[in-house]
Amino acid sequence: MSATAMKHEPHPGQERPVADAAAIHIEAKGLNKAFGKVKALEDINFGIRNQEFVSVLGPSGCGKSTLLRIVAGLIPYESGIATIKGEKVLTPRPDIGVVFQTNNMLPWLTVRGNVELGARIRNMPAAARDSAVDKILEVMSLTKFADAHPHQLSGGMRQRASIGQALVLDPPILLMDEPFGALDALTRDKLNVELLRIWQEHRKTVMLITHSIAEAVFLSDRVLVMADRPGKIIEEVVIDLPRPRNAAATRAMPKFGEYVAYLGKVMGVTS
Amino acid sequence: MSGVSSRLAAYVQVISFFGAFLLFWEYGVRYFEVKSYILPPISSIAVAVWESKDQIFEHSMYTLGEVLIGFTAAVIVGVLLGMIVYVSPFAQRTIYPLVTALQTTPKSALAPLMIVWFGYGFISKVAMAFLFAFFPIVVATLGGFAGTSKNLEEHFRALNAGPWRTFTTLRLPSALPSFIDGCRVAMPLAMIGAIIGELVGSDRGLGNLIMLGTASSRTDLVFGCIIVITLISLVLYALIEFAAKSVWWRGIQV
Repeated sequence: MSATAMKHEPHPGQERPVADAAAIHIEAKGLNKAFGKVKALEDINFGIRNQEFVSVLGPSGCGKSTLLRIVAGLIPYESGIATIKGEKVLTPRPDIGVVFQTNNMLPWLTVRGNVELGARIRNMPAAARDSAVDKILEVMSLTKFADAHPHQLSGGMRQRASIGQALVLDPPILLMDEPFGALDALTRDKLNVELLRIWQEHRKTVMLITHSIAEAVFLSDRVLVMADRPGKIIEEVVIDLPRPRNAAATRAMPKFGEYVAYLGKVMGVTS
Repeated sequence: MSGVSSRLAAYVQVISFFGAFLLFWEYGVRYFEVKSYILPPISSIAVAVWESKDQIFEHSMYTLGEVLIGFTAAVIVGVLLGMIVYVSPFAQRTIYPLVTALQTTPKSALAPLMIVWFGYGFISKVAMAFLFAFFPIVVATLGGFAGTSKNLEEHFRALNAGPWRTFTTLRLPSALPSFIDGCRVAMPLAMIGAIIGELVGSDRGLGNLIMLGTASSRTDLVFGCIIVITLISLVLYALIEFAAKSVWWRGIQV
């Protein structure tokens, strides 16, 4: 365990000094959220810098999806504050793309229809929309399936299409709620590699919710670990693996294994 | 080609089953000497229908008109009411329990009332067809809207979709399969409503012809009318089924 490579915060939840405050894209300060009497989130503090890839890792039911919904402006919160580019989050914003885990395709639309849905809803001019959709279908290797309907695709292709739907609008911020959670391990690995490639080509600020340690380590600049009941951030780990990363080489690095082992220990998976 | 031969075998089975049934009817009543006013042989029903074909056609069109207008009115009012109940919590608290309570009323008991209100003619039968078809359509429409995937609703919110856009792009297509199911149930009910109305009091229509046939012991004509009613219902049902084919995403979750 090379502890020097990791930045372990002595007091989780404390505000970290940030050099350029203007570059903070997503921030939460003292955020609390309860559903009735059940405390879902307690005193959440974190910041995600411009073009930083941060994963929120935690067991199911720890409130990590709730955290994403708050940041996305989909649900209200009781106290504390969540901001995007310094502005308090009140409603969904056009500069954010959200990718959900499942059930995010309209079954009656084709793949193209689904990918361009966000662009249509946000009234992107038709010419710009068509060329953006063509490009995204290409990037997502879905060009051949543009006229297929979602139920004719595999789960992995559907998830690619829904990521494509978020990317068509080219939002600077991407929030992903366990986008690969419903997929088999092999497909998940492949899509991790694809997501990494896309992110390396079109840098965005990414907040990825996941319960896969390997996925978090492979993709992220930083990993925030959450514990449940009530959901709070218990650990922050900076993933100091060189970029650009690469499927085989990065996963083969000793440091990769160390991060995975350490996070496993933090989460109580391994002793 | 086992597919073709097994389909052929299926047809042969169906045709021989119904052929045997008709033959048994035809010769059974003769063999057991069943009185023809109880159960006439199938051939004399066919003859009776042929001899009165103009009359039956005219009455059929009259009944068909009642059914189609009643059904269409039920679709329009049912969908509107389903939508109002869906969007308005007030309507959900007030109108919906009323609709549910009325649904349990035996609609046939309302037939004499309809005749008192709307007279002996066309309108009272349209009202009966409407009453029978209306409730399944309201319930199905409301169920369709309420069944819109919560995930997709959230997805649309994340995209800042306005209420109208969400309605046309998400809720309406989501509700269509359930609405079509409602129509499937409602169409035969509209026919039942119209016929009950005609049986209770009318001067035209297939129900009226059944009453005339019964009064004059023309059981062959009564059977003919019942068969024609059934055939019309089947055709109407087939039309709904045909329309349902365009709503192919029923039950598909992706």
